[in-house]
Amino acid sequence: MAAIESARALRARMFLRLLYRALTVRNGQVVVAVISIMVGAAVVSALASLYLDISAKMSQEMRTFGANFFIGPAPTAASRGIDLATYRQLVGDLPPEKLVGETPLLYGLVRLDLGNAVLVGVDFAGLRKIAPYWQVDGKWIGVDFDDRSCMVGRRLAETMELKPGSTVTVISEDRSRQTRLQVKAVIDTGDSEDEQMFVTLGLAQRLLDLPGRIDVATLSIVAQGGEADHIAARINEHFPGIVAKPIRKISESDGQILDKIEGLMALVAATILVITTLCVNATLTAMVARRAPEIGLQKALGAADRAIVGQFLSETAVICLVGAGLGLILGFGLAQILGQAVFSAWVTFRPAVLPLTTGLSLLAALAAAAVPIRRAVRIVPARVLKGE
Amino acid sequence: MDAITTSVIEVAGLAKRFGTVTALENINISIRQGEFVAIMGPSGSGKTTLLNILSCLDTPTEGKYILDGIDSSSLTEQQRTVIRREKIGLVFQQFHLIPYLTALENIMLAQHYHSMPLKDEAMAALSRVGLDQRWNHLPSQLSGGEQQRVCIARALINEPAIVLADEPTGNLDERNEDLVMDLLKQLNREGRTIVLITHNPDLGLLTDRIIRLSHGHLEDVLP
Ligand SMILES: Nc1ncnc2c1ncn2[C@@H]1O[C@H](COP(=O)(O)OP(=O)(O)OP(=O)(O)O)[C@@H](O)[C@H]1O
Ligand SMILES: [Mg+2]
Repeated sequence: MAAIESARALRARMFLRLLYRALTVRNGQVVVAVISIMVGAAVVSALASLYLDISAKMSQEMRTFGANFFIGPAPTAASRGIDLATYRQLVGDLPPEKLVGETPLLYGLVRLDLGNAVLVGVDFAGLRKIAPYWQVDGKWIGVDFDDRSCMVGRRLAETMELKPGSTVTVISEDRSRQTRLQVKAVIDTGDSEDEQMFVTLGLAQRLLDLPGRIDVATLSIVAQGGEADHIAARINEHFPGIVAKPIRKISESDGQILDKIEGLMALVAATILVITTLCVNATLTAMVARRAPEIGLQKALGAADRAIVGQFLSETAVICLVGAGLGLILGFGLAQILGQAVFSAWVTFRPAVLPLTTGLSLLAALAAAAVPIRRAVRIVPARVLKGE
Repeated sequence: MDAITTSVIEVAGLAKRFGTVTALENINISIRQGEFVAIMGPSGSGKTTLLNILSCLDTPTEGKYILDGIDSSSLTEQQRTVIRREKIGLVFQQFHLIPYLTALENIMLAQHYHSMPLKDEAMAALSRVGLDQRWNHLPSQLSGGEQQRVCIARALINEPAIVLADEPTGNLDERNEDLVMDLLKQLNREGRTIVLITHNPDLGLLTDRIIRLSHGHLEDVLP
């Protein structure tokens, strides 16, 4: 029993040695085959990464990130903004399971120690739900009646020399009201918010002397296309002083680009795979032809057809896995370039790309190897061993 | 009766045709266990064709070939592969080593296909042909004579009943020719049956018997 085990181990070791030697000793064709697979795998994985990541990001954003609904006063309205109570009623009418988050917004100019700034009153709990992607250095303001704290945009914080923890005096434009606030956090959104100062709605209303009013509101509602339009129409009908409209987001237009080039990407991937298969096939065919005398010799020494098939399948598999591995790395880089060029976005690694690329590469390599391997098996030792 | 039981190679009425080319015709040969036989004849007389049939690399078009009591015409290709690795050691004029394996690995490969690769035995075979120092060299790093000695080590590693050698010294100088012939003679003294194809009459004289081929026919068999 022990002898049988060790015989198997010895044979396995010899097989691996044969495989290793065949692939590494002066075998330029292996390099060509690896490069072919690598290029194919790189393109396929780049396109797959791009597709999977952008569509994943998109659907995630449409579901939970960012406001996709805007509410403002009708252009004909007599007074500034919207009445907060009317807005609350409007929100209350929305189906709760569809509402991800909402915040009213009240804007006004204030004076700080070192200059003027735009003050924004918000509902922090709601804002946090629709803007979870804001980069916050410090802590979000937690409670709605916290009128001693503020969050400051990054660029404003730089100009006003503010940091999380510093205090700032906020004075109303007519100098009639003022308060000292502590900076809870500095935020970075890469957008206009970076120039603004955020406080609770109540505090903003007091500082700006606009009790019970808001300017606009943004909401995140789980609704797309027609359904969003439908909700907007209902609001506009029920609340005459208010205009509601879905925000057509950039991600949605990105999505349309993605939908349009989805077929193109699949076509490019398929074409590349076919070209890869042909390249690998040509290389393996040449390799089998070059190695015909060795293969004949192996058969003369008593190698069964199974052994020949096993050897070449293993060689192909190793070539393929090395090529696919390198291709995945290269493809991820390529995906970043494409992501930046087409969607101005970095592409996150999606694990699904791994089995997809490896699987398709293996499929291409096996398809490429089928005929050369059959040729190797059919080599007649007596013919190739004859000294030419 | 006695002659049949002790003959390892029994060829009767054998013919081999490649399309319209008749390479062998009406060949009758009997080689006894432990004999050292030379096959000689002009180029194109069918020597290699005969040896290929004897080594089960090829099949006769007509006639019978009985190897160690087994009728080869009844065998499938797989079975002939098994017979080859169990009973036959091959040496070629062109050496034919696997170019990407070292001397030692080339010998171990024959063990691998036969039973299991054993490094110590392979090493012993190499030292027998005087190349144990060169075990780690690729064929390209060995001289022709050295390569042929590796081939002989490989042919004997699985202790075959028969060693078939097709002009093993055809590409070698005199010194290496002597080395190779000495090795074959040694193997023969150990009881192995050896069939050697050669163009060199001097080598023929060193064997027990010469089988002469001419245009695919046997000329005469000297007892
Ligand atoms: N596969 C083949 N197809 C057609 N003809 C063949 C084939 N193999 C051998 N022959 C022919 O059979 C004859 C015998 O060839 P073989 O190789 O056995 O000669 P040989 O005695 O070994 O010659 P050499 O001394 O040159 O090696 C030759 O005429 C050759 O052309
Ligand atoms: Mg010949």
